[in-house]
Amino acid sequence: MNDPILDVRLIALIDRVAQRDAAALRQLYDATSSKLYAVAMRVVGNTEHAEDVLQDAYLNIWRIAADYRASLSPPMAWLGVVVRSRALDFLRKRKAERALGGIEMDDYMADTLGSDSPGPMDTSIASEQAWALHECLRKIEAKPREVLTMAYFRDLSHGELATQLRLPLGTVKTWIRRSLEQLRSCMGQFA
Amino acid sequence: MHLDNHPELLDRLAASYALGTLRGPARRRLESYARQSAVVRTRMLLWQERLGTMTELVMPLAPSHNVWKRIEIALDQEMQMQRLASMAQSRESLLQTNVSQIAQLAKWLNRWRMGALAGALATVAAVGVGWQAYHNLDTQVAVLAQQISASQQTRVVAVLSDDKAQTAMLVSFNAANNSLILQRAGAYQEAADKSLQLWALPASGAPQSLGVLGSASVINLKASAEQLSNVPTLAISLEPKGGVPSSTGPTGPVLFKGAVLPVQL
Repeated sequence: MNDPILDVRLIALIDRVAQRDAAALRQLYDATSSKLYAVAMRVVGNTEHAEDVLQDAYLNIWRIAADYRASLSPPMAWLGVVVRSRALDFLRKRKAERALGGIEMDDYMADTLGSDSPGPMDTSIASEQAWALHECLRKIEAKPREVLTMAYFRDLSHGELATQLRLPLGTVKTWIRRSLEQLRSCMGQFA
Repeated sequence: MHLDNHPELLDRLAASYALGTLRGPARRRLESYARQSAVVRTRMLLWQERLGTMTELVMPLAPSHNVWKRIEIALDQEMQMQRLASMAQSRESLLQTNVSQIAQLAKWLNRWRMGALAGALATVAAVGVGWQAYHNLDTQVAVLAQQISASQQTRVVAVLSDDKAQTAMLVSFNAANNSLILQRAGAYQEAADKSLQLWALPASGAPQSLGVLGSASVINLKASAEQLSNVPTLAISLEPKGGVPSSTGPTGPVLFKGAVLPVQL
């Protein structure tokens, strides 16, 4: 579960990055890139694009590290949100470029939705808040949970989810509504 | 309706907002409630925080080794660019210093020449010594002048900004090989079917094309000092792929522009 020593180390590294210490960025990269690369993959769904996003994200972290402390967030959560937002920018740019060229279901979607087993989650470095979310997500059925997490990672509307996952719109709406209700009542117990 | 008095509904809306599935007018309405009520705002932030930790739960996946190498290269470029930008700022004061140094030396040299002349009238031996020293001094001046010009062979000549005054491009000129070096400084990247084109905007007359930019972050263009003389402003326009002929002038919007810094080319 949560490792306070890792958090302290990450915060110290982010502080040093804010002081323009390039060696600290390297250490931060070594400590966090596999997690953040996985986040980028969840959003863009393609190796090459995820690598572009990861590069862009660390350069952005280099520029905005000084803002970290004001966010009051656990370091991994802050880094994860930075990567997600860079990845979403990347998707928006590509969508605009390709206009309405039809979006392909990517490898990630095909893999996870083809199977009935829930996608695995990793709590090895989860903060307390992430642990609570994990406990609550676990209680949601596999497919609705996948649709819910995909909605978040890729910032997709009901309609976009239905199109991309080739599911009836009604099904998507029902799954999202139900799983969000479950999540709300469960998270309420932790708060 | 006051959402503050409907905690259940507020919680549901805040959760859908953070998830991203609350769209359209409903989304904008909630945003405007949030601006008016700290209770609404707090609930929305709570859900953003809660869902934000979802990124901590993904299974780790190692990226290719190339990624760090690419970050390192880009970081080097960025740090170099910052140095260039600070150089651009101190450029003028630096030039002033150099100019006064040369003036001082020239004054000294003149005084020496007078002395040497006086010496010549005294003895032949003295003239010999005087001439040698005189030549040494000339050499020193030449060396100093060369050093100054070498250190300034590549100089930032313009900092181009967008309409929000954000620095977008640094333009430097290398007199040694007649090339313009453009460094992208912002996040802007043109679409694949477009090109950026650099223009010299003379004090009078039509814009002259200085070349079409590639998509790399550092771009070299051939240009002579004459092409940049009497040009108070440089501008970059967005053009169809490959750019337009110089005689046509810019056809797309001007994205970045900036004054050419008052330095000697």
